[in-house]
Amino acid sequence: MTNVLLIIFIISLLYVSIANRIITYVRVLALQGFILFGVTFLQLKDIQTWNLVLILLETIVFRAVAVPMFLSYLIKRNRITRETEPYLPHFVSLIIITMIVVITVLLANSIKETHLDKIFFIVSLSTLFTGLYFIASRKKIITHVMGYLMIENGVFVLSLAVGNEMPNLVNLGIMLDVFASVLILGIFLNKIGDVFKAADVDQLSNLKDY
Amino acid sequence: MLSITLILLSAFFFTGIIVRTKSITSGRKGPGILQPVKDVIRLFKKGSVYSETTSIIFRISPVIYFSSVLMACLVIPFSSYRGIVSFDGDFIFFAYILALGKFFSIISAMDTGSSFEGMGASREALFSMFAEPAFFILIGSFALLTGHTSFFDIFSTLHLGSSITYTLGVLAAFILVMIAMIENSRMPVDDPKTHLELTMIHEVMVLDNSGFDLGLIMTTGYLKFAMYGAIIAGFFIGSLPLPLSVPAYLAIQALFAVTVGLIESFMARFRMNHNPQFILALSSVSFLIFLGVLLVLEKFV
Repeated sequence: MTNVLLIIFIISLLYVSIANRIITYVRVLALQGFILFGVTFLQLKDIQTWNLVLILLETIVFRAVAVPMFLSYLIKRNRITRETEPYLPHFVSLIIITMIVVITVLLANSIKETHLDKIFFIVSLSTLFTGLYFIASRKKIITHVMGYLMIENGVFVLSLAVGNEMPNLVNLGIMLDVFASVLILGIFLNKIGDVFKAADVDQLSNLKDY
Repeated sequence: MLSITLILLSAFFFTGIIVRTKSITSGRKGPGILQPVKDVIRLFKKGSVYSETTSIIFRISPVIYFSSVLMACLVIPFSSYRGIVSFDGDFIFFAYILALGKFFSIISAMDTGSSFEGMGASREALFSMFAEPAFFILIGSFALLTGHTSFFDIFSTLHLGSSITYTLGVLAAFILVMIAMIENSRMPVDDPKTHLELTMIHEVMVLDNSGFDLGLIMTTGYLKFAMYGAIIAGFFIGSLPLPLSVPAYLAIQALFAVTVGLIESFMARFRMNHNPQFILALSSVSFLIFLGVLLVLEKFV
């Protein structure tokens, strides 16, 4: 069952790579939150009950409900345009993300460590690289934050793989969430729209030699 | 023998069910279930008109197209009955006999010398090219899972036991439905109802065909849907006893037809430049099936 959820997680990455609207990204983040809730529930068996309840509440409340709702509110309030505006075509994004998955599988296959749960490793590493790719290839600030959230989901998946032995690692993964909320609040408080006014990279193309 | 009979039987009703679903969801009265068959019979009674610029290729290609799909139907098994043609590696035969038919329909479209038909032919070739790796990775991973390379052996040894194999089955059904939509040029990729040559794919290729030839091409479309439905049914039926498997087969075909009708009713056609990425996404998903199979077989520990 855990494997099924993790495969759906990777499919959500492929879906987000060809998505056209920002609201789709938000929905996929919510879906990933629910998937992580399921994985946590199935995976962490040898952990203290109160710690488990805390982690489960955190995944369901923050990752699956609060952050996506807050992001969609933010998109409405700051009047962010609907398109994702990637630098590269979606087609290239899809190929790159498929290549990322292939490379992580090959990488995981070359590791000769028997204690490592390979599918968790593959999912977390490919999510991490996909998040980095989103940050690098999308124009808007809000998509950068979403890419960061995706990276954080990847880190959380990896911490779940060893969660039974080292529960503190899962708690550290939750700490990352707090940091992400600071990033989102930064956008909220500064009313940043599509891009920083001062840091719009497209203005560089207006530079001329005199 | 049973499998080809069932495929022909379901092809008889398939397009009718699609049209009926579409008319019910859009609140129209709509034609009866047998209307597509009646259309074809009407066309079969007519003679054909051939343009003077066309050659022999234009005349023979509808027949080759039809017979290639019929050949492909012969390969497909039904629960514990082999198809009429069945040998190791027959899924490759299946894919390339379909490609042969498609090749002839493409060059017959080029043969007419119409600029629109050449454009439609190029699109059809492009989309089939993108859909091919999805099909091969999908069937190839099931061949890896079962250790056999013919449709009959794959379907009869496939055990949907644990939750992960169910997921693989559902994903495979999803991909096959989408491939069937692409190969038949139906809604998310192409709109069969469109009336502008610039936006058409399959319909524009057959603009010059008339009468008997057009009837053959339409029959081929019905057969192709039933053929993919038979493959999808093969994934789930396994080797049930006959009184159970025949109703299950027909139910799966009917469900497939209703699904196609619903997709056509509620989805808009993609913009033409979005199609390649959509079709390639299918290949990515079937690659995930391949990874899932590796996981089941514990090839990577």
